[in-house]
Amino acid sequence: METFLFYLCGGLMLGAAAMTVASRSAVAAAVWLVFSFVCAAGVFALLAAPFLAILQILIYAGAIMVLFLFVIMMLQGPVLPAEVAGRTVGRKALLALPAAAIAVILISWAARGREASFGATPVTGTAAAVAELLLNRYLLAFELISIVLLVAIVGAMSLGRNEEGQP
Amino acid sequence: MTVGLTHYLALAAALFLVGMAGVLIRRNSLIVFMSIEIMLSAANIVFAAYSRLHGDLAGHVFVLMVFAVAAAEAAIGLAILVEIHRRRRSVNVDDLNTLME
Repeated sequence: METFLFYLCGGLMLGAAAMTVASRSAVAAAVWLVFSFVCAAGVFALLAAPFLAILQILIYAGAIMVLFLFVIMMLQGPVLPAEVAGRTVGRKALLALPAAAIAVILISWAARGREASFGATPVTGTAAAVAELLLNRYLLAFELISIVLLVAIVGAMSLGRNEEGQP
Repeated sequence: MTVGLTHYLALAAALFLVGMAGVLIRRNSLIVFMSIEIMLSAANIVFAAYSRLHGDLAGHVFVLMVFAVAAAEAAIGLAILVEIHRRRRSVNVDDLNTLME
């Protein structure tokens, strides 16, 4: 059962990610990406991480993708035809070559190790268990990440501000 | 064969490949951003898989950090994109070559 669910979630996630990269229109790419993130939540659930699965849907499929769709909506007219046909297939293949090389290295490294099967009783990452670590051992990281988010908010506001005289 | 660490690592490697190919091939910077999110997702899966292997939840904490950084990156990156679009009327990465000229 777990095997079936892994191949279902993993396969759908990978396929949706590939469709994101291959989509001609940015809106279609965004919708495929949402689908991919929902499948990623399934993968997290299989890894005994229910809290991460919920956050994945809330943050990625919810907040981040809404941001993407808003920007696509703002830019849509000029963006969609902007994907030029200038690149030949050969040029694309050349550009994908380093990606393929890295993938071969990563996959062979992943497959090299001994058969590392998971323990029978997983430590389930519930909200309470993760919060315990987050607010004790990793408190400093937690505070620092909130500063990162604060800077991001201020930065996004100052960058996105509409100066006078501009449309 | 039961699903083990190797399966999750292979899935993450394949996802990372897809994201990286997107960054290298696509010209629409919105889709380049989405490809970066795919690569971050691949990293998250590796964190969660090793967390499961060692029975230690520290990996989950770092997935949360990656979530926060990804959110910050998307907010800032898209704001920069809107600003670029306002000035150059384009989001094609090939058009952004001022420093090359």
